Amino acid sequence: MLRLDESFLLGKYKKAFKTVSKEGTPIETLFNLMFRENLIDGLLTYSKEKGKVVPKLILREGEFLQPQVPFGFGLNSLLKKAIQKYRLSKLAVFGTSCVLDGLNKTQYYGIGCNWVKTAVALKVGQLCLGNITEEGIRALLLHLKGRGEKLKRAFIEERELIFQTDKGKLKIPMEVLHKYILSACRYCLNLSSRGSDITYVQKERENEGLFIIRSERGWYTVAKLQKRAPGELKLKGAGQEEVDSLVSLLREKILLNIDSIIDRVEIGLPVPKWSGNKLRKFYRLWNSIETSDFEEEVF
Amino acid sequence: MFFKDKVLNEEDLKLKIGFFHLSSCSGCQVAFLDMFEKIVEFLDTVELVYSNMLTRKREIPFLDVAFVEGALCVEENYHLRLIKEINEKSKLIVSVGACASFGGVRRLSCGNQMPQPQHNSFIPLTEIELIKNKLKYAIPGCPPNPSLLENFLLALLELDYDFLQPFEFIASSNDASGFNLISEVVNKGFCVGCGTCETACPTRAISFSQSCGKPNFTPSTCVHCGSCLAACPQSFKPYPQPTY
Repeated sequence: MLRLDESFLLGKYKKAFKTVSKEGTPIETLFNLMFRENLIDGLLTYSKEKGKVVPKLILREGEFLQPQVPFGFGLNSLLKKAIQKYRLSKLAVFGTSCVLDGLNKTQYYGIGCNWVKTAVALKVGQLCLGNITEEGIRALLLHLKGRGEKLKRAFIEERELIFQTDKGKLKIPMEVLHKYILSACRYCLNLSSRGSDITYVQKERENEGLFIIRSERGWYTVAKLQKRAPGELKLKGAGQEEVDSLVSLLREKILLNIDSIIDRVEIGLPVPKWSGNKLRKFYRLWNSIETSDFEEEVF
Repeated sequence: MFFKDKVLNEEDLKLKIGFFHLSSCSGCQVAFLDMFEKIVEFLDTVELVYSNMLTRKREIPFLDVAFVEGALCVEENYHLRLIKEINEKSKLIVSVGACASFGGVRRLSCGNQMPQPQHNSFIPLTEIELIKNKLKYAIPGCPPNPSLLENFLLALLELDYDFLQPFEFIASSNDASGFNLISEVVNKGFCVGCGTCETACPTRAISFSQSCGKPNFTPSTCVHCGSCLAACPQSFKPYPQPTY
């Protein structure tokens, strides 16, 4: 049986850092510094416009204002514009694991361009407990509070997902969140954006965050920025306690996801004809006594 | 695979390939040429033995891989003869592009056009029983991206099954369009709202709805190329996942 331990939930990583920025959020500072140092020529991410989270292509330093709500759709729809219209060759992408999956697949079928290799300079993944529509957020807040509130921020603190609304802070129980997220997110087993260079976790204070450095490229980028502007982005090794609390939150959510997968397979709900074995493969792994190399198999 | 036997048994190690044209705009063959200097790199290992555009040969020789573009026109006797001949003379058939793989824009044909007004029924190669055993791979796209064709040829030469496997899935499917994206991914609750389908679509038949986080499909502009479904990270994932 699969163990829901750190290596399963967080994946392979080099080191986790508690990050504090001088101005703005750590992720804003990271990208602004990268623009300044010419490490990137564009950034594909979500931005807030007229109160709505929309995908946006950022081309200059200082333009990126991180939406404090980590929910959004359609980021990859701007890929063609970024790479073919604007000819960007050092693009940074900041999105969830499914966005990075789509990006990884562009080299194959249909699109056929290996943009990950030729045009993407850095992939920053977002820790994601499930994507949710605007109305979904409204319904979730109505469910929990019995009245309409406006979501301002969402962050993770001490094993909890917390929504900051215009009326105060609110702990979000995972079972309730699970009900309102997209159905596809209920079958997701990659909440921590495996396959990214850096995974970013939003913390309570606006200028604090957690960087989980996964790849050599991520390590090199952060090291270079630290060297150039040590005062703007301060990194301190995150303690095991911090990592454990994150793992515990992910475990709680992934157990719900596994429940949904098992339900789906047992009822025999249809899956796409080209990956008919996708969830059943996981079901077999989950129920087998010994497993090896699950990362390659399932994800 | 036959290529392994070829290396072990035959004196001439060069892979003999040919391009065949059924009913299409020839854009897929042009996409092959769009590889430019990269084609030269293949010439040590690959020999182009037949192409209606690039060689002067009139007779089809025996070959290892037949790349076929275009849908088969039921009313065209030449097509019927050609597909029989390709089946007899080739060891492996690869359908290239939307028309050959899924019918493509030919699915919308209603005939009554000069100089062949009788031509109105077109079927993709993936639906032809005769070649089912030899048609192993289908390449989507309208036209397929040159770098995709390059990578495919490279994978075929290097026997990279991880790369080739999804093309096998595609060959076993005889329809793919925005409709399928909706029915296979969105309706089944697998759409994550990443927007890759919009980027993949060459005709802007797919747009993205920010409010519901799902693709919007405009059937009238869809050319049935299959790019959206093939690019969708939820339709299938290549294993192992590529890492860079």
